[in-house]
Amino acid sequence: MSLVPQLIMNSLIAGAIYSLMALGFNLIYGTTKFFNLAHGAMAVVGGYGVYYFSKMLGWNLTSAIILGIALAGVLGWLLDRFIFLPLRRRKATNTITLVASLGAFTAIQAIVAILFTSQFQTLDKNTGTSKIYEVLGGIITETQVVILVSGLIIMGALVLLLKYTMFGKAVKAIGDDESVAKIIGINTDKIIAKVFLIGSAIAGWAGIMVGFDTGLEPTIGMNLLLKGIIASIIGGIGNIYGAVLGAFLLGFAENFGIWKISSEWKDAIAFGILIIFLIFRPQGILKK
Amino acid sequence: MEYLIHLAILFAIYAILSLGLNLVVGYTGLLSVTHAAFYGVGAYTTAILLTRSGWNFFPALIIGMILSGIIALLIGLVLSKFKEDYYALASLGFNIIVYSILLNWQKLTRGPLGIPGISRPSIGSLSFSENWMFLLLALILLVIVYYLSRFLVRSSFGRVLKAIREDEGAIKIFGYNVNVYKLTIFVIGAMLAAVAGSLFATYITFIDPSTFTIDESIFVLAIIILGGLANLKGSIIGALILVLLPEALRFLGLPNDIAAQMRQVIYGVILILLMLFRPQGMMGEYKL
Repeated sequence: MSLVPQLIMNSLIAGAIYSLMALGFNLIYGTTKFFNLAHGAMAVVGGYGVYYFSKMLGWNLTSAIILGIALAGVLGWLLDRFIFLPLRRRKATNTITLVASLGAFTAIQAIVAILFTSQFQTLDKNTGTSKIYEVLGGIITETQVVILVSGLIIMGALVLLLKYTMFGKAVKAIGDDESVAKIIGINTDKIIAKVFLIGSAIAGWAGIMVGFDTGLEPTIGMNLLLKGIIASIIGGIGNIYGAVLGAFLLGFAENFGIWKISSEWKDAIAFGILIIFLIFRPQGILKK
Repeated sequence: MEYLIHLAILFAIYAILSLGLNLVVGYTGLLSVTHAAFYGVGAYTTAILLTRSGWNFFPALIIGMILSGIIALLIGLVLSKFKEDYYALASLGFNIIVYSILLNWQKLTRGPLGIPGISRPSIGSLSFSENWMFLLLALILLVIVYYLSRFLVRSSFGRVLKAIREDEGAIKIFGYNVNVYKLTIFVIGAMLAAVAGSLFATYITFIDPSTFTIDESIFVLAIIILGGLANLKGSIIGALILVLLPEALRFLGLPNDIAAQMRQVIYGVILILLMLFRPQGMMGEYKL
């Protein structure tokens, strides 16, 4: 194992996780135009869902994972139905919706902590025994391969869904102008509900992957969310390719940034990049 | 009795934090999520000057306020480029950067080990080391901060701030340099947070970076939104309610860690309900 290939590998893995967070966040932001901070909690719910079904109830892993994803998706849908939809009807400002989503995030994270304690948990059956591959001198685990591949598959699926289906066209129309979309007969509430379902399910998957890779704590949601948001913004918010590009850029910047300094600086580096982008190129690399 | 004094001191500290933040968020309409950073700068400056250089509390407090003000000036200059939700996000980024610095600049701050053995304030032979004497000091500072804030918001300066909040474009046309006003109030808010920080450091006599995370910023934000934006009495009442809430839960027989999480659940839900039904908070005069 040598340093540079391993740094590249770590960057790719971090990028893949961030891109999963960014894809769902970006999909929701692109449609509703507000920062949905509750998105971070969806990852936590997905991860702990799998923990509950597979470790506490002992169900088989595949069904636990499907249930975990479904749980996150349904919760996202519920939040839209009972919080964000009423706020949209009241023409609430972005800031109000942002604070409401912050409230939802705080409450959900605390409920998870009450149910499962704040202890560190891992989804991996026996930690450290997962298969390890060596690629070009860097080490990557089986879980991390799954993370990378699934990130690309989900990105591809989203691109197909948004470009070639009626649903995708409706999503785009709502993103451009919700009231016009309504006038031409699109059931905007229904489409947005589905967007929340899909976006949250993707976040759930991200949380599950983190649970297998590094482990779960109720507080991981905020960090994942913020990285997803930063990735979306530096890539170009509202743009799927931008989300993925931003995520990998962020992964590389963080991991190479800590080459010579303590890894505790990672978050500061990420936010430093965010602020530089917000000042000099707020529309991101790929602008929409 | 000791316990009640302890709660009263915490209340005074949070009330000072809330008053400062309300000037920025409530009166000027800038959704800042970085208040804990200035709280931390004040606490660390006082702690370091007291333990390393053997300073007296009061000059250390002044230096803490000045340093916090200077840092706020620099951060505020960058933030002045942003609006609404981007402002919130970028300010949150600065909180994380300041937290990282407190955590990683170990020569100065001792990093995660924290700074122990901070002495209680004293002037000449008058010592505030007894808890009830400390409470007296905290309440005196709270009263000063309250009347200072009241003076500010009732002055012509305060009226310009409210005008900026309501319609920035219009007040610009009248020839006011809005950026100067925004920066000034942001710096004042930060200096007041440093007062709370200095009190906190000398009350607990130990600080570490974990007190100054974005969670703390969000907590103070919840206090002022609950109490009411642009209402100083509201901030005091909000601080009282949210500081007493976990204690009330403890009286209901919940164990400490669950009571702490329950507090998060309750204030998360309060934020959601307020945004849905009363976005200006209990006594507020301004909706986000």
